[in-house]
Amino acid sequence: MEELFRDYWWLMFPIFGMVMAVRGQSNEFARQERILRDAEKNLERAP
Amino acid sequence: MTFAEFFASYWWLMFPIFGMFMAVQGMGQSEKRQRRTLDVIRSYVEQGKEPPPELLKLAQKGDDDWDMGMGMSTGGGDGKNARAWTFVTFAALTAGFGTGYWFVRGEDFAFAFLIVAVTMGVLALGALGILIFGRK
Repeated sequence: MEELFRDYWWLMFPIFGMVMAVRGQSNEFARQERILRDAEKNLERAP
Repeated sequence: MTFAEFFASYWWLMFPIFGMFMAVQGMGQSEKRQRRTLDVIRSYVEQGKEPPPELLKLAQKGDDDWDMGMGMSTGGGDGKNARAWTFVTFAALTAGFGTGYWFVRGEDFAFAFLIVAVTMGVLALGALGILIFGRK
């Protein structure tokens, strides 16, 4: 295990990048979902 | 084959698999969002109401999803700044990983730095191309 870590420690940087990319994408989707939900709610509230 | 041997042989596969996963998820979400946005805008227009500006921005965003603008490229002059910033980011990553490669070039794992530096360099060139020749 120690040897594996010594050989591949640098992978933590791209893996961190991937985690941040997934987080960024899911945050962006959540923001878009909120905008759409608000717009739909405003539409329903209209007389 | 032990886990260590398996990992040593196929660790690089995680990058293309991750790329494919993100592409499929992004495309699916983008298409669904685009359809739903247009439906809501149509409903607003049918009721004779002005659609909210965020909704119009969201509808415009469909064209910008794949421009590496990282979600900042919609609206006026911000787009050009975002594209310039994308170029600067990729250029900085190229320089950083290039320097890393230079310092460890005698080691077994130096190729990893070189691969990342070349990838970032290609992305930086693409971002520069979009900055110069892209939509104003």
